[in-house]
Amino acid sequence: MEARVVNKGQLPELLDKLAKDYDLIAPVQEETVVLFRKISGAKDVFLEYTNSDISPKGCFLPQNEKTFNYTYTGDSIEIKKPEGAQKTVLFGARPCDIKAITTLDPVFEGEKFGDEYYSGKRENTVIIGLSCTKVLSTCFCYAFEGGPCDGTGSDLLFTEIGDKYYVEVYTDKGKALADAYSQIFSKGGEQLAKDKEELAKKLAGEFVRKVDLTGVKELLDNNFELPYWNGDDQKKCLGCGTCTYVCPTCHCFDIFDYPTGDFTGARLRCWDSCMYPEYTLMAGGHNPRPTRKERVRNRFMHKLKYHLDRYNMVGCVGCGRCVRKCPVNIDITKIINDLKEVAQNA
Amino acid sequence: MDVIQQLREQAKKLLEEKKVDLVIGFGQGTELARTTPVFIDSPEGVSALTWGPFCANNLAKYLTDYKNAEGNVAVVVKGCDARSVIRLLDDNQISRDKVVVIGVPCPGQLEWQKVAAEVKPGASLKETADNGESFSVKTDAGDYSFNKKDYMLHRCLVCENPNPVIADITIGKELPVKTYEERFAEVSELEQKSTEDKSAYWDKQFSRCLRCYACRNVCSVCTCQICVFDQMLPMWVSKRTNLSENTMFHITRAFHVAGRCVDCGECDRVCPMDIPLRKLNQKIHKDLGDLFDSPTPGSKPGIPSALGEFSPGDPEEFM
Repeated sequence: MEARVVNKGQLPELLDKLAKDYDLIAPVQEETVVLFRKISGAKDVFLEYTNSDISPKGCFLPQNEKTFNYTYTGDSIEIKKPEGAQKTVLFGARPCDIKAITTLDPVFEGEKFGDEYYSGKRENTVIIGLSCTKVLSTCFCYAFEGGPCDGTGSDLLFTEIGDKYYVEVYTDKGKALADAYSQIFSKGGEQLAKDKEELAKKLAGEFVRKVDLTGVKELLDNNFELPYWNGDDQKKCLGCGTCTYVCPTCHCFDIFDYPTGDFTGARLRCWDSCMYPEYTLMAGGHNPRPTRKERVRNRFMHKLKYHLDRYNMVGCVGCGRCVRKCPVNIDITKIINDLKEVAQNA
Repeated sequence: MDVIQQLREQAKKLLEEKKVDLVIGFGQGTELARTTPVFIDSPEGVSALTWGPFCANNLAKYLTDYKNAEGNVAVVVKGCDARSVIRLLDDNQISRDKVVVIGVPCPGQLEWQKVAAEVKPGASLKETADNGESFSVKTDAGDYSFNKKDYMLHRCLVCENPNPVIADITIGKELPVKTYEERFAEVSELEQKSTEDKSAYWDKQFSRCLRCYACRNVCSVCTCQICVFDQMLPMWVSKRTNLSENTMFHITRAFHVAGRCVDCGECDRVCPMDIPLRKLNQKIHKDLGDLFDSPTPGSKPGIPSALGEFSPGDPEEFM
């Protein structure tokens, strides 16, 4: 693979340039929370994080997105779509979150249901990943063939080695960006490739969660009803949307009109959560997922079965956010291991 | 016999004697420094119960889930959680004869993320002990000590009820009750700010809100069958997150629990965006104290809800 080297000392210069030439989205710290925001330059970037509190999926699927404005003129309706996506760089996303974006791609860029809002942003964005330097106790990306230094889905992947970044060029888009700033992306770096390999090996040994998916998919394929779903998880679930909103692969949304009076308004698309009771509530009052049991089951079926059925990809990347943020410690790794046991004892 | 052992024995007895059908308690979580709610319906299941400085959740929240269940329910509560039980009883949300309250005096709860940052990943917990100013945490990867000042949840640093204010069974020794002059220190500091600065402070906080509703759903006194924020017709707030709708949500929520909020601090603990929600509720607590001489809701049975009662002596400075 083609590689480049960036001196750490030149990173601020690079970020300032990127912010000038593109919309630059990068991790920032607000109070104690790390999240991705559009920034004006290097001074705003916060890179001393292991995993951000909120994933960068909002780059492509914002929590709030205006799909069009409408005006009713009396005999017709005028529709005005927002301007197309700006040229954007997403900098500093972790490998698990970038892999998560690749699980969203087939949902929004499938042949059958292409989504211009998503693909517009996707096409116009260069993703610069940043390898992890630490593994948290809640991390388990290795279980889904990911890794702390895995560049799948990135255009460029930065890996911190001493006072340098070893930069791997994954795509032509990435190469074009590196070439455009060739005074910062210098050639070479064969020695660093070895260092990166060592870092990846070292980090691979630091995972503490054992996650084994053996037999889980087959079990769920054949059993929609399992006594397991009557267990503690649905009893303790509070029905909040935290797990789904912090999840980098969750992508459900609601579409509704936001009238602003005088026969004008906007049609919005906003994140929604399958953990909310009204998510599946139908006109007439029927709710096919009436209790927490069905809702909890659905979330894990989606991650471990439905996404695989539809796109041949697991709907989880092992970022561990839901594990960390769930107020009552519902833990997908425990559920996977429990289901594996159920499958074995079946 | 230590607290955990006593807890298991009492739970076992309650289930064996069929005094309850379910015991809701704390079980070891999937991280060393976390527990998770457990729901035990057989005497054999009681070994799942645990206790220690990682039992932050307010389990009284679950009582309303079982208010129409046939059998009785036992619940393990700390001092702050016991205030929720009283409040639920006073609000007629649960019946006294259907609930067995197992109270455990609590010397404080540690913030699990802070502990996890120090302990070797993957270590498993052996035992914990309260040493007054600190907790010792023994693991299979070594022993640690966490001083309360730096590692405890903020709400525990100014705890007014270390001993459960209602309990049918009390496990463990009663703890000395302290009063804290600085209980409202953070709120007082915020009060000193100008209106513009206060507004800027909260704008910054609320603009981060994801509206995941964890704060609402974890709240033990949020007991509405259908919350105004979930209503579709009329849609009072949309799913859109913006400062205006986020503020509407938080202010409405704070006022809706005013006079009923027991200051358990769970909203604050569970916020994934670290919005200091307890400060909003604490401002109301402070005002209730200052204006109506009203104690913390739930701190004694039968305290009238300050906003649900009228007395001719009430201040009426705005009228």
